[in-house]
Amino acid sequence: MLRTTLGRSLYGMRRGLVGWGIGVAVCVWVMAAIWPSMQSMDIDALLAQYPEPLKEAFNVADYGTGTGFLNGELFSIVIPAIFAVYGIGRGARLVAGEEQDGLLELVVVTPTSRTSVLLQKAAALAVGVAVLGAVLWASILVGSALAGMDVGVIPAARAAVLVTLLGIEFGAVALAVGAATGRRSAAVAAGGGLAVAAYLLYLVGQLVEGVRPYRWLSPVYQAIVDGPIGPSLPELAALMPLVAIAAVAAAAPVFDRRDLSGG
Amino acid sequence: MIRTVGLSKRFGDTVALDHLDLEVGPGCIFGFLGPNGAGKSTTIRLLLGLLRPTSGRAEVLGHDVVRDRRQVHRVVGYLPGDVSIDPDLTARQYLDHLSALRGGVDPQARDELVERFDLDLGRRIGTLSHGNRQKVAIVQACMHRPQVLVLDEPTQGLDPLVQRTFLDLLRETRDRGGTVFLSSHVLSEVEDVADVVAVVRGGRLVATTSVAELTDRTRRRVVLTTHSPADLDALRATEGVISAAPSDGGVEVVVEGSMAALFQLAAPWGVDRVVADEVDLAGVFLHLYEDH
Repeated sequence: MLRTTLGRSLYGMRRGLVGWGIGVAVCVWVMAAIWPSMQSMDIDALLAQYPEPLKEAFNVADYGTGTGFLNGELFSIVIPAIFAVYGIGRGARLVAGEEQDGLLELVVVTPTSRTSVLLQKAAALAVGVAVLGAVLWASILVGSALAGMDVGVIPAARAAVLVTLLGIEFGAVALAVGAATGRRSAAVAAGGGLAVAAYLLYLVGQLVEGVRPYRWLSPVYQAIVDGPIGPSLPELAALMPLVAIAAVAAAAPVFDRRDLSGG
Repeated sequence: MIRTVGLSKRFGDTVALDHLDLEVGPGCIFGFLGPNGAGKSTTIRLLLGLLRPTSGRAEVLGHDVVRDRRQVHRVVGYLPGDVSIDPDLTARQYLDHLSALRGGVDPQARDELVERFDLDLGRRIGTLSHGNRQKVAIVQACMHRPQVLVLDEPTQGLDPLVQRTFLDLLRETRDRGGTVFLSSHVLSEVEDVADVVAVVRGGRLVATTSVAELTDRTRRRVVLTTHSPADLDALRATEGVISAAPSDGGVEVVVEGSMAALFQLAAPWGVDRVVADEVDLAGVFLHLYEDH
């Protein structure tokens, strides 16, 4: 486990992952616990009074099914936010944070290349978010089975994959900016700024006709459009890993050449 | 082994290092002295490729520190000044991790070091005292038996026993033909062990001398408490004594270089106590600066 930078990084993430995993599971199960009582109310009749754009914005069009309920209640903001915050936090920590704490110095003076260090950090980020995604998937299946929500194994996996990709994209941007600047605050600002901008573009795109043609640019839109619990992955979802890879690739030569601070 | 040519580093408008030319040969312990902020750490970080020179260049064993950074890392052991190491890992896990990243670390050589420093590998680094953390850092710097050791203020926080073991280790490295680059802002820290000393101030090299010469020129303030009164005039006439003045129950003397003549003279007075000040490095530097 500790033979590589990837292993070392994952080892360092283990405790945090347990905490975040519990948080994700609790979120899912609280929703699952509410579901039976929601079902007994005539929720669709209630929602019929809501203006159409609002329903679309908050993904509440289809509260009559377990899938629709989770898509609206969990995936319109809570779960994407959790994955974004986790990804950005890890991404900012893995290079810039460790550098500022003086932990990176003795690693980069071994005969490993800095590029390899960065790529392994990126891999650790991806694995960490993916583990959280797997927890999400399992929690949905367990919650659905217990509450009778009738969410399919594949649609649940699709949702988990989409928010995982979302967390990886935001995290990769934070990682890349942290690697390029060596500053945790810059990394968090970049990742957080992108996340907020992405959410706003998505939201305004749902509500305002003029912005609608551009909403596909938003990673949040790419992740939760048509679901995200649904039958198949949208093609747009491929943009998330592509942006993540591009960000890290752009940061690699900068990280390789720049001055490293001593903490 | 280590060569810098016109090595300069600027951070924004601040000149941290200004055209440093150094040459350190094999089989040498090189003391790199200067007050805080003189450019010692900057030099070391440039040698390790952690910083990139603004101009000039540096080589370690013929490898350019920018172009052949990995080759440099293979042959250098580095002990940073401000030791921060993973608090999350045990000392064993941490050393295993760095050994794996390095490759080719002889486990026996490492265990030998661990034993010499009496290091408890099983404890988490976060629970170790500063001195013990320093030991972990020393072991990681030396475990691959590097030809070049670069040490930034290494003996801070070490207890005297450990310090002796550590200085022995540096001498062994020198004796097998290696080079030790040792920075400090305290002369006493390097004068026991270094062969050659360079002095930097304000990012510029002030002087390079042998330790013998430096010690000869070093002025120390000594306070002697004696049974019978000291003869000030005799003191002032003694070799090496710059000044002598009465002090609380004794005499305060400033001596340059060897104190042999002073103590020969003072012995009959019955010396109860000697308090010697830490050398005022700035004074020594100024001295050297005037000469060079």
